[in-house]
Amino acid sequence: MRYFSLSATRVNTERLLTHNMLQCHVKNCRPNESFPLTIKDPELERTEAEFNPDFMRGLVPKLDWTALRKTAGALGLGDLPAEMPEATDEFLQMLHALVLETRVVSGSMVCDVCHHVFPITNGIPNMLLQADEV
Amino acid sequence: MIARVSDQFPWGPVRIRIESWRCCRLTDPARFEQDHVHHVYDAIAEHFSDTRYKGWPVVEDYIAALPIGSIVGDIGCGNGKYMGPYDHLAFLGCDRSGALMRIAHERGHDVQIADGLCLPYRSCVLDHALSIAVIHHFATPERRRAALAEIARVLRPGGTALVFAWALEQVSRKRAFAVQDNLVTWKTTARQSRKAANDRTASTYERFYHMFVQGELQALAAEVPALDVIRDGYDRDNWWVVVRRRA
Ligand SMILES: [Zn+2]
Repeated sequence: MRYFSLSATRVNTERLLTHNMLQCHVKNCRPNESFPLTIKDPELERTEAEFNPDFMRGLVPKLDWTALRKTAGALGLGDLPAEMPEATDEFLQMLHALVLETRVVSGSMVCDVCHHVFPITNGIPNMLLQADEV
Repeated sequence: MIARVSDQFPWGPVRIRIESWRCCRLTDPARFEQDHVHHVYDAIAEHFSDTRYKGWPVVEDYIAALPIGSIVGDIGCGNGKYMGPYDHLAFLGCDRSGALMRIAHERGHDVQIADGLCLPYRSCVLDHALSIAVIHHFATPERRRAALAEIARVLRPGGTALVFAWALEQVSRKRAFAVQDNLVTWKTTARQSRKAANDRTASTYERFYHMFVQGELQALAAEVPALDVIRDGYDRDNWWVVVRRRA
């Protein structure tokens, strides 16, 4: 059995899911305090992706809910409850739209501790550091 | 010592340059990789990508067996040829080459420009990872081990990674490599650079490769305290291992 299907039209520009995985990695920065990176001047885009409840159920425990809630609030995408709700289909669909369909096309991600700026250009975050930051 | 693999140049001028490469590789490996890996990939990205469309069966089988809902990181993803898209996996990809990331992004992949020795991901965040034809580009054993240790950091306990690296023992090539550290030429002809309208010239680039001997990749992975080697093999001129992060 093949779980997957291929489609050529899917767009996977920096999703909020990815933002939830990224952290500041500047030497001697405190990633636990600076996570999540603050998204500045974002240009957001919503692209439809196929909803797969089993996939979402697998994904849920891997999200950092507190960070996602903070980011969604800061981007004006809605107020999430402080505790992650039960994984009903309705909740999973909301989460699907938030983390898989919402994308950052441009802007930057800023570390609140060391103030490093990671630019996002044409949907691609540049996470490279200068030699003295590694 | 670095041998140069080329049928294009006489040996005279080459020998002089071998010395300067050797010094630079060991005294300033980061600079060496910039010259002989990063800049090359940025320059040849389009032509390289055009030649990279056919996946290797070992890699495709590994991906096909990953459970639904897995977060998978392709570390050094190139043009993103292994990234699907898949309905049941969340694939992230990163690569040091901005030019390759633009190509991967145009193909619809969620990618970041990042350094394999300093990944931008949270610790323990990936369920699985790929490192396909990447660590052989690091200039020293310490840096190759550090690249594996960084993958181990971002893997969750119990998570696995598939690592491929070029083998010294090559069965399908006409030309044998005499030593492990090599500069391998990449030639673009005027015809191949057709997409760059202003570039009608043929160019030659040299990429650094450390070619692994039998057992070396397993030994390197075993040096990373968090990793166990759970499978290994040889396929298409490459040694490969599947490593698992200890619980
Ligand atoms: Zn920071």
